[in-house]
Amino acid sequence: MISTLKLLLDKLADRFLHYGSWKGYWEVLMQQFKPAWRDGYFRARLVSVKNLSSDMLEVLLKPEVSWPTHVAGQHIALTIELDGKLTTRIFTIATGANTHQRTKHIRLVTKVKAHGVLTPNLHSFVPNQWVNISAPMGKFVWPTTEKPLLMIAGGSGITPFIAMLDDAINNAQVNHRPVHLLYFAKPNEHVLLNELSAFSKRCENFTYDVLTKQKDGDVEAYLSYFASAHWLVCGPHTMFDQVERCAKMINVPVSSEHFAALPVVSNTSLTQNETFALVHNGQSFTIDNQQTLLLQLQQAEQPVTYGCGMGICHQCQCVKKRGVVRDTRTGELSDSAEQLIQLCVSQAVTDLEIQL
Amino acid sequence: MNTSVAIDKQHREEAIEQAHLPMRDTSATRTETKPNYELLAAQLDEIKADIKQKIGAEDAAYIRRIILIQRICEWSGRLFLMLGFIQPLLWVIGVLSLATAKILDNMEIGHNVMHGQYDWMNDKNINSKRYEWDIACDGASWNRVHNYEHHTYTNIIGKDRDFGYGLLRLSNDFRWRVKNVWQFATYIALSILFQWGVSYHEMAAERVFFGKKKDNRKNQVTHSELKQRFFSKGARQLVKDYVLFPLLAGPFFLWVLVGNLIANLLRNLWTSTIIFCGHFTGDVETFKEEDCVNETRGQWYYRQALGSSNIKGGKLFHVLTGHLSFQIEHHLFPDIPAKRYREMAPKVQAVFKQHGMHYNTGSFLKQYASVLKRIIRYSFP
Repeated sequence: MISTLKLLLDKLADRFLHYGSWKGYWEVLMQQFKPAWRDGYFRARLVSVKNLSSDMLEVLLKPEVSWPTHVAGQHIALTIELDGKLTTRIFTIATGANTHQRTKHIRLVTKVKAHGVLTPNLHSFVPNQWVNISAPMGKFVWPTTEKPLLMIAGGSGITPFIAMLDDAINNAQVNHRPVHLLYFAKPNEHVLLNELSAFSKRCENFTYDVLTKQKDGDVEAYLSYFASAHWLVCGPHTMFDQVERCAKMINVPVSSEHFAALPVVSNTSLTQNETFALVHNGQSFTIDNQQTLLLQLQQAEQPVTYGCGMGICHQCQCVKKRGVVRDTRTGELSDSAEQLIQLCVSQAVTDLEIQL
Repeated sequence: MNTSVAIDKQHREEAIEQAHLPMRDTSATRTETKPNYELLAAQLDEIKADIKQKIGAEDAAYIRRIILIQRICEWSGRLFLMLGFIQPLLWVIGVLSLATAKILDNMEIGHNVMHGQYDWMNDKNINSKRYEWDIACDGASWNRVHNYEHHTYTNIIGKDRDFGYGLLRLSNDFRWRVKNVWQFATYIALSILFQWGVSYHEMAAERVFFGKKKDNRKNQVTHSELKQRFFSKGARQLVKDYVLFPLLAGPFFLWVLVGNLIANLLRNLWTSTIIFCGHFTGDVETFKEEDCVNETRGQWYYRQALGSSNIKGGKLFHVLTGHLSFQIEHHLFPDIPAKRYREMAPKVQAVFKQHGMHYNTGSFLKQYASVLKRIIRYSFP
């Protein structure tokens, strides 16, 4: 009944109010009573922000009641309005579903990126401030396997494992098989060690190693000891590549979630000719950083709407799903998250994905 | 920047066909002193860069506040229209409130959001790709004709189809025809039906129903799509204001229907008047296509400056015009949040003065009188 009414109202909003949804039409009015009330988002109240180490932060959120509880290992998109601009980043939830149901809180653990847009600003947020979150997403969860598990974490890639262990130990899933964690991070940058220690005390089947590449070498050196296990890896791309290569060699099942560091734009990348991958409509093209995206899409005979060619008319506007572009008029770099760009005044600075 | 090669020759051919004369510059007010274009571009770019640094939370809050006011005006207006049987004054308040809502949606919200002035907010509803305004004109069609042609080729005869809207002769660039004698009446009719004029504008220019079709014409959209979108959007607007809401009022059907009709009329007259004051005052200049070949950024700025005119007024007046009372600043910086034109204007004016350029501004009455004079003047050979 409610969903039928919602469909009807959305249809009315679309046909007669020219809005994508009924909720969207009333959004600004509702925000007077419920801050950060947005169509397509859930609300969450900021409970606290605290330092875990010199560059790691713990953010505690209380999602609104309608937020569907996550499965440990999943991530959310956190959207915060920064100086009028809605800025979104993806974070893995570092608490189990049990903990959320009990405390009504979820925790995000993140590295503060020195030149980041969102994370350096998290400290300025005050308790009780409202932010937006997405529904939980992702399939990197506790695997359905009878095999022992090897968890391989790199840096802030520890977060989904903390959530999985939180739930698995509470649900006694770990009692059925051994679980070992290899936790790599830079010296003195390991976080949540007290929680790992508590997990291992509560459950003798769980063991872990705290490692640094500098002192203990690459992850590859350890993997052969766990050839009979199901591997789970979460960490930087380079770590994922190493683990995946090794898994293929010895035929081990592997579940993974890897993240690319936010693109670093060097001075050389602004002047030297570089090529990048442009993904559009499931197709991948090679593009350079010297010509505009519009010109290169036209050369690739893609159906692009265009107009003035100088950034005035917005005819060639499209959604950039990910990646960084440079505005040819001002040299200004875009955010790395989803946003609208004009193809005629945009050059690639990193790999890109767009939706025309 | 080469603005002439990016578009085919069709529009120029149309204008020549209308004029039956070679292109020529006959504007009596053509500015004789040319500025240092490079310096002009640098100075205007600097004004833009300074403002861009300030754009942020204040601007986001502003546009949301205007949307909020629009919602309040629209729905209170629609409610008051139904209460006219209690006290006719309530109906009058309803009409004015609904007209204000329609003006805000058309000008300060629709026009400006669809220009991309708030795209930086990353808001799913307040952006130029998503926003569709509450008038008969399909937003995509307006984006093509207005955002692209008009803002890129401002007042270039044959390329900017907004100059006279193909209905009015407003300069000697066009040959006089007998129909121009009654063009003042045509102007009044256009103003009364302005939303429909804007809606039909692209179809008229593309000769969808009338006129000789062009050979080798390269259309951005097919005629069938133009027709489909024109009729779809127009029908929905008609159903909403003249069927749906009157029916909801039950026995007060006529009160609401007439109220909606008057609110639409007031919006049409207001928007038409403001837009004519921004582009068709006596001093606004026209340009020849050949003058704009290989145009530099400075030359483009120069053309925008001389192709537009401002109207002086108070804050409320500026809001109701969608800040198109700062038409010069809007044409120089079309994707800067329009409220910022207020603080940009004195700096722009100072730059114009330095370059000996005319900053065309005046009171509403002065500018509107100038528009009427121009329409009447060019009614005759």
